[in-house]
Amino acid sequence: MSFSTPIKSRPSVANCTPSRPSYQQPRLDSSPLTPRQYAQLTSSFLSGRRRSPAAAQGKSCIHRQPSSPLRLDSGHPESALTGTGPVSSTPKKPAKKQLYRTSVQGDRFIPSRSSTSTAMSKLESESKASAASSDISSSSASSLSYQPNMTALAYQSSVAEACGLALNTRILAFKPEAPQSSKPIDLRSQYNRPLKPLANAQLRRRLPTSAERILDAPGIRDDYYLNLLDWSCNSQVAIGLDRDLYVWNAETGTVTNLLQTRPNTYISGIKWSGDGAYVAVGLSDGDVQIWDAEEGEKVRSMTGHAARVGVMSWDRHILSSGCRDGSIWNHDVRIAEHKVSEYVNHQAEVCGLQWRSDGSQLASGGNDNLVNIWDARSSTPKFTKTNHKAAVKALAWCPWQLNLLATGGGTYDKHIHFWNGTTGARVNSIDTGSQVTSLQWSTTYKEIVSSHGYPDNNLAIWSYPSLVKNGEIQGHDTRVLSSALSPDGSTLATVASDENLKFWKIFEQIGKKVSSAVGETLGSGKDIAKVMMIR
Amino acid sequence: MPASAKSQDQHEPAKAAPTRSKLQLKGSSKVVAEFFEYSINSILFQRGIYPPEDFQVVKKYGLNMLLTVDEEVKSYIRRIMMQLNKWITGGKISKLVVAIVALDTGEVAERWQFDIEVLSKGAIARKTTSVADKENAVPESGMQTKEKSVDEIQSEIQAIIRQITASVTFLPVLEGRHTFNVLVYADGDAQVPAEWIDSDPKEVRDAEQVKLRSFSTNSHKVDTMVAYRLGNAE
Repeated sequence: MSFSTPIKSRPSVANCTPSRPSYQQPRLDSSPLTPRQYAQLTSSFLSGRRRSPAAAQGKSCIHRQPSSPLRLDSGHPESALTGTGPVSSTPKKPAKKQLYRTSVQGDRFIPSRSSTSTAMSKLESESKASAASSDISSSSASSLSYQPNMTALAYQSSVAEACGLALNTRILAFKPEAPQSSKPIDLRSQYNRPLKPLANAQLRRRLPTSAERILDAPGIRDDYYLNLLDWSCNSQVAIGLDRDLYVWNAETGTVTNLLQTRPNTYISGIKWSGDGAYVAVGLSDGDVQIWDAEEGEKVRSMTGHAARVGVMSWDRHILSSGCRDGSIWNHDVRIAEHKVSEYVNHQAEVCGLQWRSDGSQLASGGNDNLVNIWDARSSTPKFTKTNHKAAVKALAWCPWQLNLLATGGGTYDKHIHFWNGTTGARVNSIDTGSQVTSLQWSTTYKEIVSSHGYPDNNLAIWSYPSLVKNGEIQGHDTRVLSSALSPDGSTLATVASDENLKFWKIFEQIGKKVSSAVGETLGSGKDIAKVMMIR
Repeated sequence: MPASAKSQDQHEPAKAAPTRSKLQLKGSSKVVAEFFEYSINSILFQRGIYPPEDFQVVKKYGLNMLLTVDEEVKSYIRRIMMQLNKWITGGKISKLVVAIVALDTGEVAERWQFDIEVLSKGAIARKTTSVADKENAVPESGMQTKEKSVDEIQSEIQAIIRQITASVTFLPVLEGRHTFNVLVYADGDAQVPAEWIDSDPKEVRDAEQVKLRSFSTNSHKVDTMVAYRLGNAE
């Protein structure tokens, strides 16, 4: 680097550094490429990146010329150098002047410590690195004013040079303190840490071992064939306790006694309409009543069944009711002649009835161990399944796979079968080990929960389609009669013959804060939209 | 003088290249500065200067990079980066050092050093000084570096970041609480804001040095090195 500097300093500069004569020779003899590179160099040096002592020496030579008339002959034709190393920033005219001056008097050189020092050149270059050479006198004058410092700097630079240190670089530190970490960190605990935080213990879903809430259900009939519990879409739980129908509002916690049936009868089936405004009540004498839950009055009564109506299912304005005599009636609740069709295939009491969510198929289960799948447009069953060995009360259509139906059998069967409603094929089976009393698909997880009677009286949660049992809840002392899922899908209500109505948060969404339907006010008491016209 | 004027004209084509490489220099400086920011964050995370919860995963260089989300640390690094950006663009610094310092004793436990070499003009200058004969060879190597694509640079950076991550396997466990300092080796004429003060090099006593990979852009070459104190047990 150092040898290149004389050219950099000024085009006209002769190499007047006696200490480095050996470097000069190659330069003079070098190819035409060389000067250009030097020029490039020069510009970079002028921009101030790096200055070498030799460069300074060269420069200082010029500036010092007036004051040091005695010069050593460098022994080289300086004009050759002069022409090859132009500095773009140097005005041509002054350069010419300089050239002239150099050639005239640059034959002898007496080294002057102060003038050749790095420090000196540094000072000068800082004061005016690209000073026009016509300003020589003023430049040297300004450098003189630094005289007191110069010797010290010169000493420093020579020492630095001797030690091989670059004086021109500074080590700088960012002064402000780095913020303190909020707490001590043990790195060792970090080594085993996964890159992305997994669901930690609090976030992992845990099945409750105790009920979220327990309500008394005194006098509930311990009858497998009845369906005495339902949860409406606007969070009202209806439960039939012998002759009384109670509505418990899950949002406000208020209880109303909606109706009491005639003496010698009892409530055998309950079903909320799709809009949650009406509740259909099946009675032991075969009457099917529709009640307005808000007004608390009966809207209509649809008689005709010969025996008790243990199960009902709504499809918009069609209410299907299953009777003890094995018949299924479809009532159009909007017209006076309510009975629009009858499905007859079961030989014994119908205890399970469930419309598919799109209303195209109806599944029914009976005490004759049959599962029938009906097409809404036909009065003969599309499929009749005889796989169950006991009464089929538990029926559930899958919410995320429309044609998937789950059915559960009674005490001698203990199986849950899964059916493809389109092809009628049995796609899966689970042996639960207990009487299956109800089935509810989760709307949150790919799971189905079954409630059981003899012998285990438990609740079981199965993942589908893996059929792995994800959990079991020993919730009731005696058999679970019915279950109902909350509209938000998080909570399951179960009623058992131990006269308890229990609420289980089994499908609570993890991560999201789901406002619980039980015991919490969801907000404004929105008016119940009455979709149907019931005469 | 006509001679000098002529040679100046001859430089015109030569000047064209530097003009273009000046643009490249800007882009390259950005790459380098960005690399420093991610490296500093990686070091802070890997060496446990701040708790892991303070960091968030970001996709960068085809890796999952961790950036601090702590507002204080974020703004502290931002302040450093702002100045670093200026210096790198101006080619004013030759080294960046992240020193891990014990909070209580002030002893330097670890020293991450990034050497920044400005290629093209600077590299030629240095090479020519060593041996005059090499002059012809230098432009060729300069040409080679020009061909580097963004993907190549990225994969080189990726390799360094991987090494920083992997270095926890051989670096001694830092006992006690530590903080960090950022040092730069700046040129004498660099503009220095008041926030930056002259400092000692913060070398590590009895240091073991491990050189990590380096990456280069068209205008910069960055070497990475970590120095750490050997455990007293050895």
